[in-house]
Amino acid sequence: MSAARVNNLDLMAPPVVKVIQRRMVILGGVASVIVIVGAFIQPAVFFRAYLINFMDWLGICLGSMAILMLRHLTKGGWGMIIRRILGAAMRTLPLLALLFIPILFALPRLYPWARPLESIADNHLQEHLRDITRSYLSLHGFILRAVLYFAVWGALVFLLTKWSYEQDRPPLRDNSSRFKVLSGPGIILYAFTISFAAIDWTMSLDPSWISTIYPLIILIGELLSALCFAVLVERILADYKPMSELLKPEYVHDHGKFMLTFIMVWAYFSFSQWLIIWAGNLPEEITWYMKRLNGGWGFVGLALVLFHFTVPFVLLLSRPFKRDVTRLVWLAVWLLIMHYVDLFWIVEPNFSANFTVTWADVSVPLAMGGLWLAYFCRNLSSIPLVPAYDVFATEVLEPVHE
Amino acid sequence: MDEPTTPAPVIEPGYTFGTVTDKISSIVLTRPTSNGWLLGFGVAFLVSMGLLYAVGYLFLRGVGIWGVNIPVGWGFAIVNFVWWIGIGHAGTLISAILLLLRQSWRNSINRFAEAMTLFAVACAGMFPILHLGRPWLAYWLFPYPNTMRVWPQFRSPLVWDVFAVSTYGTISLLFWYVGLIPDLATLRDRSENRGAQIIYGMLAMGWRGSARHWARYETAYLLLAGLATPLVLSVHTVVSFDFAISILPGWHTTIFPPYFVAGAIYSGFAMVLMLAIPIRKFYGLEDFITDRHLNNSAKVMLATGLIVAYGYGMEAFMGWYSGNRYDSFLLWNRLHGPYAFFYYLLLISNLAIPQVLWIRKLRTSPFWLFLISGVILVGMWLERFIIVVVSLHRDFLTSSWGMYYPTRWDWMTYVGTIGFFLACMFLFLRLLPMISIFEMRTLLPEAEVKAE
Repeated sequence: MSAARVNNLDLMAPPVVKVIQRRMVILGGVASVIVIVGAFIQPAVFFRAYLINFMDWLGICLGSMAILMLRHLTKGGWGMIIRRILGAAMRTLPLLALLFIPILFALPRLYPWARPLESIADNHLQEHLRDITRSYLSLHGFILRAVLYFAVWGALVFLLTKWSYEQDRPPLRDNSSRFKVLSGPGIILYAFTISFAAIDWTMSLDPSWISTIYPLIILIGELLSALCFAVLVERILADYKPMSELLKPEYVHDHGKFMLTFIMVWAYFSFSQWLIIWAGNLPEEITWYMKRLNGGWGFVGLALVLFHFTVPFVLLLSRPFKRDVTRLVWLAVWLLIMHYVDLFWIVEPNFSANFTVTWADVSVPLAMGGLWLAYFCRNLSSIPLVPAYDVFATEVLEPVHE
Repeated sequence: MDEPTTPAPVIEPGYTFGTVTDKISSIVLTRPTSNGWLLGFGVAFLVSMGLLYAVGYLFLRGVGIWGVNIPVGWGFAIVNFVWWIGIGHAGTLISAILLLLRQSWRNSINRFAEAMTLFAVACAGMFPILHLGRPWLAYWLFPYPNTMRVWPQFRSPLVWDVFAVSTYGTISLLFWYVGLIPDLATLRDRSENRGAQIIYGMLAMGWRGSARHWARYETAYLLLAGLATPLVLSVHTVVSFDFAISILPGWHTTIFPPYFVAGAIYSGFAMVLMLAIPIRKFYGLEDFITDRHLNNSAKVMLATGLIVAYGYGMEAFMGWYSGNRYDSFLLWNRLHGPYAFFYYLLLISNLAIPQVLWIRKLRTSPFWLFLISGVILVGMWLERFIIVVVSLHRDFLTSSWGMYYPTRWDWMTYVGTIGFFLACMFLFLRLLPMISIFEMRTLLPEAEVKAE
């Protein structure tokens, strides 16, 4: 029995993944050319969109890693069925590390603290930046911390991947206890590193603003987008063997429940932040919302309330909806878009007082997304979709009885 | 940390429907009232008489007998309120959320955890009312049509508290009572005593155990669980708003809602363990409340404790990062001010010591777990003390700084509520089945009618 064949079922990803990969390479390549040309013409516009997209795709990558570790701690068929999808998304980390480098060349464009202090008109801000750039937001600190974050994530991805590979071929070894030992501390490490990465990379776009719950809003957004992405991939694969034989409504139901939980937590965090800042009404805090509720941005905020929470919430209350992957996938795609809008709403008002959508907001997602998805497809088709030798895989490998 | 692939059972082998029912119901029906119970209840009752005395004197003299004064207007009363309401969170979490998550191990601890919740909420509810100064006007907190033109300020989280806590109390009571009905019927049927038969019979509301009864029961129970789930989050969220809505350093910080909820579950599970460990020992219930329950509860404590630690870390970091002089001062004042000793004690008892729960051996050792839970309860009390007192006693105006010293009446009220809580628990153990009999029966191999 080869690793990829169990119960007469070929567990390798279907050929369609390769097809998608080829198309994504073309899409990403063509879009990249346009984007690179655009970047030379309008670098300012380009880098904003670039940062948003970097955070978005990084979120899917790291969120997948976190859900994977959560799965190792809790078990259950819901996680086994998407385990290798999450793993493939997580293994895109090298690409994201590479994509981070251009940001380093645009620091003064993006971050006020990276500019010469004399160029800052606001006296209070200048004074504040004099302190903060000496202690935390220094150029060296920023780079060192980024290296540290990627090192921690890289180490986690490396170990999780290595042990997972080991389960594909004999000699049989049960790695579940190793996974468990790593995942507990791993989740804590992830929570701390992504929090500080969120502060460094997006919160410091407005260096005088602070919110202690902000890193958690970024974190939950990552989990949500990663899960929605896994549902999307699961749906595409469900039309082909082996996923068509393995995917049961119960697993989809659990994924739907997770989506519901994540959007509720997202709404809970976001609403708490808004209510506390609104009630306090302090000048150093409320300005963040003033920017995001005026100049057309208020409509984006309202759209987030309605379409990132209210409508998906109502839909996800339905049990048949959660169990049907062909319907759930549409909401997953929708939430992926809304998560992007959320990041857009968080980042973009730092730069433009009025709501604007530029060419970069359309083309950068295609370019970065195309390349990222191609890499993801490559990862996905490189190993079987289910770790057949894992002791807990048998539950999933039972074919569906109709 | 290494775990065997098959976890310890939630119920030891060898039991049948009959023996489970016998074992649990006999504690209430046939077991004679032991001297230990009489002693425990007696002491707890005496201490709760101390509460009555302290409250009586408070009614006579007013809140001046407490240590509260400007600048520290929220002393023990609010500290204890938050502490008790936090403890009350474990019950609903165990009964509602774990039910919805299909965690069947909850079945043997949910009943007394719910009872604990009710008594803790009762203790919590006393404090804000006593703190009002004129407790007999507490009903003014509710929006009701009146001729005095008195209307609550709906933008104040203190008003939200009234609704959050009273809703929580009501739903917890309903949930607990509905869950009790089938067991009350069991007691009615098994009791030999005419008086007990009548009382349990009335409480069982005509339960006959027919299929239709069970179907309706299951629906009602699931609905109540669904209703109770958001309440687990909402109550402590609203309590955190009491602080966070203001602009005081140490109170006004956006992470407060999830951080308070995690802290509440943290202390709630600590209290569950502090009760479960002696109860299972004295009543010989080690077969029903197994090492698995201890281990799982300890894991929940570890996880929520880490979220609390994250909250501390983020708050301290942001205080430093913001460069705001008042936030930085608060951090300094916590570390070096007059209450610094308590802050360090808090860090040790809430952050450092609970980390030993990473060791599996300690997670299943009743002795150590009991001790660690006690430390956590002290730590969580200190946390509320630090939040309330340290932020208030030195605020923006240096001229209005002051110190807070609790009086003996503060202590007497606080200790009195612990006595009241324990007295209620003792009565509960004696009069009602502390473990859900019929839910335990579903855990038996006998209950697996169809093999799936």
